[in-house]
Amino acid sequence: MEQLLNIPAILAIAFAGSILVFVTHLVLPRLRTAVVLLLTLVPAYLVWQLPVDSPMVYFSLGGFDLSWGTNPYSRLFSLLIAGIGVLSTIYSLAFMKNKARLGFFYLAFLATIAAMYGIVFSQDLLSLFFFWEIMTWSSFLLVIYYRFENQQAGIRYFVFSAVGAYALLTAIVYLYSFTGDLSLAATFRVIPQLSTTQLSWITVLFLLGFGVKSALMPMHVWAPDAYRSAPSPFTALFSGVLSKMGVFGMGLVLFKFMGGLEPGHIIREVLAWMGGITALLGTFYAVFQTDAKKLLAYSSIAQLGYIIVGLAIGTPMSVMAAIFLALMHGIFKSMLFMGVGSVFHQTGSLDLNELTGLIRRMPLSFVTVLMGIITVAGVPPLGGFVGKWLLYESLITSNHYFLVIVLFTSSTAAFLYLYRLIFSIFLGQEEREFDHIKEVSWVMWVPMLILAGMTLVTGILPGIFFGPIAEAMQYLGFPQIDWQMSVLFNPWGNQVDMLSVITSIATVFLLGLAFITWKNFRTTRYVTTKDIHTSGEMPTENENLTYAIDFYRPFERAAAPIFKYKVTRMYASFAENAEHLFDLLRHVYTGNAQTYALYVVIFLVILIVFSGWIFGIQI
Amino acid sequence: MNLNFSPVHFIAVPLFAAFLLPLLGRISQKLVTLVPGIVLLYLSAVALTLFPQAYNEPIVEIIAGWRPPFGITLVFGPLAAFLVTMITLIGFVVWIYSYRFIIRAPLEKYYMLFMLLIAGSTGIILTGDIFNLFVFLEITAIAAYSLTAFLRDHNGAEAAFKYLLIGSFASAFVLLAIIILYANVGTLNMADIAVRMGDVPAKIKLTIMILFIVGLGIEAELFPLNGWAPDAYSQAPSPIGAVFAGIVVKAAVYALMRVLFTLFDLPTSSHFLVVMGTITLLIAEMSAMRQQQIKRMLAFSSIGQMGLVLVAFGLGTREGIAAALFLMFSHAIIKTLLFFSAGYLVFFSGFKNISDLEGVGREKPWTGFFFSLGALAIIGLPPFSGFWGKFYLLISAANASHIFLIVLILFSAVIEAVYYLRVVGRLYFKKLHDIEIRRTPFTGLLAMGILAIVTITIGVYPDFIYELVLPAADELLDKAAYLQYAMMGQ
Amino acid sequence: MSFDWIKLLGFIVTPLIASAVGFTYMGLSRKITARVQNRIGPGISQSFIDVVKLYSKKTAINHGLMQHMGPVFAITASITTLLFLPVIKDSIFFANFSFRGDLIFLIYIMVFGQLGMALGAGQTGNPNSAIGVSRGLSQMVGFKVPYVMALVAIMIHAKSTNLQEIIAVQDGFRNWMVFQMPLASLAGLLAYLGYMGYAPFDVPFAPAELASGPPSEFGGKYLALMMTSRSIFTFAKLVLFVDVFFGGASNFIELLIKTFLLYLFALFVGLVNPRFRTEQSIQFWWKWPTAIGALALLLVAWKG
Repeated sequence: MEQLLNIPAILAIAFAGSILVFVTHLVLPRLRTAVVLLLTLVPAYLVWQLPVDSPMVYFSLGGFDLSWGTNPYSRLFSLLIAGIGVLSTIYSLAFMKNKARLGFFYLAFLATIAAMYGIVFSQDLLSLFFFWEIMTWSSFLLVIYYRFENQQAGIRYFVFSAVGAYALLTAIVYLYSFTGDLSLAATFRVIPQLSTTQLSWITVLFLLGFGVKSALMPMHVWAPDAYRSAPSPFTALFSGVLSKMGVFGMGLVLFKFMGGLEPGHIIREVLAWMGGITALLGTFYAVFQTDAKKLLAYSSIAQLGYIIVGLAIGTPMSVMAAIFLALMHGIFKSMLFMGVGSVFHQTGSLDLNELTGLIRRMPLSFVTVLMGIITVAGVPPLGGFVGKWLLYESLITSNHYFLVIVLFTSSTAAFLYLYRLIFSIFLGQEEREFDHIKEVSWVMWVPMLILAGMTLVTGILPGIFFGPIAEAMQYLGFPQIDWQMSVLFNPWGNQVDMLSVITSIATVFLLGLAFITWKNFRTTRYVTTKDIHTSGEMPTENENLTYAIDFYRPFERAAAPIFKYKVTRMYASFAENAEHLFDLLRHVYTGNAQTYALYVVIFLVILIVFSGWIFGIQI
Repeated sequence: MNLNFSPVHFIAVPLFAAFLLPLLGRISQKLVTLVPGIVLLYLSAVALTLFPQAYNEPIVEIIAGWRPPFGITLVFGPLAAFLVTMITLIGFVVWIYSYRFIIRAPLEKYYMLFMLLIAGSTGIILTGDIFNLFVFLEITAIAAYSLTAFLRDHNGAEAAFKYLLIGSFASAFVLLAIIILYANVGTLNMADIAVRMGDVPAKIKLTIMILFIVGLGIEAELFPLNGWAPDAYSQAPSPIGAVFAGIVVKAAVYALMRVLFTLFDLPTSSHFLVVMGTITLLIAEMSAMRQQQIKRMLAFSSIGQMGLVLVAFGLGTREGIAAALFLMFSHAIIKTLLFFSAGYLVFFSGFKNISDLEGVGREKPWTGFFFSLGALAIIGLPPFSGFWGKFYLLISAANASHIFLIVLILFSAVIEAVYYLRVVGRLYFKKLHDIEIRRTPFTGLLAMGILAIVTITIGVYPDFIYELVLPAADELLDKAAYLQYAMMGQ
Repeated sequence: MSFDWIKLLGFIVTPLIASAVGFTYMGLSRKITARVQNRIGPGISQSFIDVVKLYSKKTAINHGLMQHMGPVFAITASITTLLFLPVIKDSIFFANFSFRGDLIFLIYIMVFGQLGMALGAGQTGNPNSAIGVSRGLSQMVGFKVPYVMALVAIMIHAKSTNLQEIIAVQDGFRNWMVFQMPLASLAGLLAYLGYMGYAPFDVPFAPAELASGPPSEFGGKYLALMMTSRSIFTFAKLVLFVDVFFGGASNFIELLIKTFLLYLFALFVGLVNPRFRTEQSIQFWWKWPTAIGALALLLVAWKG
């Protein structure tokens, strides 16, 4: 094991693992499960054991000096990848059972995880980009896994990713033209010598590249459909971890590269506002979705908006908040996608208008989703609150008054879609057609409940994340940050003591529960959801009493003016116009031999007549 | 290790085989299919044997005993070694593919013309004599015209006619250029010409250069001289499309570059090359977007890639030329792979239109897989070789401070991604039309498999190629050294 | 740390007092409403009688675990909110946890109960409950905007997010936030109307239309616990607004006067207004109160 504790070995195992799984599936399908499990657990274990200061690995490829290494910042993200990666893989074992093309599925799945390890361990821009692109296409393959319906989603995802990646590439080669060295260390050294304009261009290009992956508006249009289309275990990883790679990169760019961009710089402010608007509009769109996964997809976009706000503001507290939220989002969004995925697995539906009353059929999935929505909503005492609190307080104390209003509005509106999600699926009328539904197998609910437990632990003891985050931030160039295990405090010295909160909530809750359960224990009856107060009339078995369609019609009416313009339509018309233009240009090739001959002659004449201008020599 | 291999074999053996094939056809059709394979295998062996020598010290072969500058020389330096090896290897893979693909008569005609293409292309690259270059260009072109019309249908004939018409312009201009050149310097050996070029008046020099640019530009698919290309590519049999994209154009580009770099001072034309390359690239990619036929689409994509190569050469730096050569290599591999798989897709569905390929990918997983892999590779994704070619090009563009150029190149790459993925999408997502699905022969899959493995291997470890292209780039740039060894002989 | 008996007693007594005050106010409101409508109305103690009757009911029905726990969520949130509020300025007895929380925490913990209630109501399967929740949540998005604007403006003005310190800033009649920051207070008080849920913003509960909406399936011990929770929560809300805008209270009498006047304000606005539809009330808050709140924020930003 000792010899394996280095990055090349881990990456080799991870990448070879994906191919090995593919081969195993072809040759010995029976061993597939064991091999998949082994090849996710081993790299994850090795990553876990990897020391923070493991020696850098230098090598040369294609004429460039590359290097891999770990630091507290990459370790934080590598653990997130490892954790969620393992849990979603375990979840997928049951979820994908008896599905077609499993070899293909696990090939892409494990390759995505491996590529993400590669991204966080890269200490040079070329490996970063290399792994970035592998991640893009392997995740693209998973988006189009259920082939028929998803072509549009897949291509949209790919094209946006390509634009983002090429922005990244432009920034990288532009930087290279100054440094002549792709390593991050050299880049950090050279950055201070660049002019402000050059620096701004590079930053903007980098942010564009990373922004696409984290679905920052207006580069988000790929996300809802892509999240929707991918199989649920992968969506958990996609939204939970893959989108964090954008955050990872933004953190590097904003703090490590662009040390020159002090807080308050215009790029930071614009980025923060883009994040804020993403959070707000993402939430509003989520409210109107009738598809559970699409709802969560928009929610994901919105949550990433919060994280980006935190990063962009760039005060120690806001960055702490952003990274904390990033980790939390990894946890709760994966668990929500898993919970909703379980429902899909058992019922075959994600339609909020159709599903209803599953709480007694799938209690564990319900608990997962419940914990998930409480965390998303940021209600104490779960971990989501800690992140939200830190973010709001950091915004208030750094004079971003209007931004905090935008975020607050967004998180209030979040209650709408969160309630709808849990209500439509689990609560409400229990219908006959779902009577046969059973809870998913333990392979699926164990990962979900582990994550749910994490949200509680991080709520009570957020310090277990603060420690590593503080170290990571020191790597990013922040001074030593004070933190406590379970007390939050802001720069003004105000604080929230999570232990008091949990004491109060737990005491009252347990007392109340004991009271309400003990009192009249024998005379409390359970009645079905058909036995309700309907002004004297007994509802019959077939009467539809489910209130689910157009759940937020009044809100929709109120918010209608906001939704007049759609970015998607803008892109669509851009694409259409571009294609028309291309179609016109295509007719340069008339298919007529005379025309082509004419071109040759004209070209010759032009070259001769304008030779002075073209070649700089007079005839 | 010297088994008496010599660069002459690259030209002589396929030429000899070409003339032998019709005779063999009388004896056995089996022999007709086997002999080209043996020839190409032999040539590959020769190329790989001579390879290290060429990189150590260029081999200069003198034909007919006259020492330069009077005799005809073959110059087998790093650049030529690199390209010739590439051509013979690709040629061999094309043969594997053709083995079961070209089954309709006349077989001997097909293989004869194929051998002529190989001989002509290697000849273009090897020769050190400008008139000889013209001769080989003509051999290649004539074989190419005939192969375009090989299927003997109306469209093929029309395409061949267009090719012939435009190709005759090319011949005329190149010949004219050579005549003017000869009139002024009195020699046909390229090294010798380069030495005496200083005495030629600037105006005449410029005229010659323009004639060469137009003449060779036609074969190198420079916009707007490339009107023949889409028709020729799409009407020729699929393996020949691959040969056009992988071999013939490469040789033509080499000829253009050799003339520009060795006979003329590059800086005067470098910006011109960058601009024309970019225009070629953009127009071709845009045109490819709305093509209905898959092979036409591949043809336009090919033109676009040649635009990239021209841009890279135009940058004129060591990294730029290395990037160009890398691009040429990776394009040769990937485009061949794409033509191969597209050939079978078209063969399966029986139609050339993209809309007729719907759902074929699901019925034919391997062919579909290879096409998709080729598409991902040509878009420039890691870990495929296409990525490195683009990356080297972008790095050298950035070093030359052409930021706008980078943006344009990447913009074209996005267009490329869109139209390739559309096809890939159709292969998998749409319902299969009611067509009869035929078997993919093993040789076809083998040929595609070899190319796929090569593109991935180079993608993961580009040093294999990058270390080879750097000395080749040096050769092209270091005119003095070329003159020295090309003049001296051995 | 020695165990502080006074504090423990405070933890127990504060909710009891809050509940008593809350029920009294609710009784008074019924009486006042009746008098305004020229009716005699029930006695002031009617709310006490109602809740005692509900507690002593022998049977109860529920539709599942979530409905069973809904009222517990509600009472947990109400009491926790109260415990983190400084009820009376500088009083150790009523201080509880008020040093350990801040305004943003309070905003969030106050939602906890509503969420629990909404979940409980959701499980009953009664469409009226679901409609009520839908309307209630939608309205919340409406009034939260001016509400948070007001609170943020005040936090910035006081340079603190802690309620204790915000009260400390308002020492003396002239330093009350209503006078210091009239615009923010105006926005805050308009939002407060939404918080209290009286007309014109009572569409989520609309007794005649929705059969009281969310609580319509609750009875017996469940309704009793919910009403207790509501009484405490009403009081907690009043204390919060008094603390933020009216300088808090240094003794119990002052607290009663201030909270009751505030309560009457909401009540009287309700008595003279018809009911808004949901989207009307949302749009109401997104217009003037939001504009006023934004102005207040701008002023604060300009000053500081």
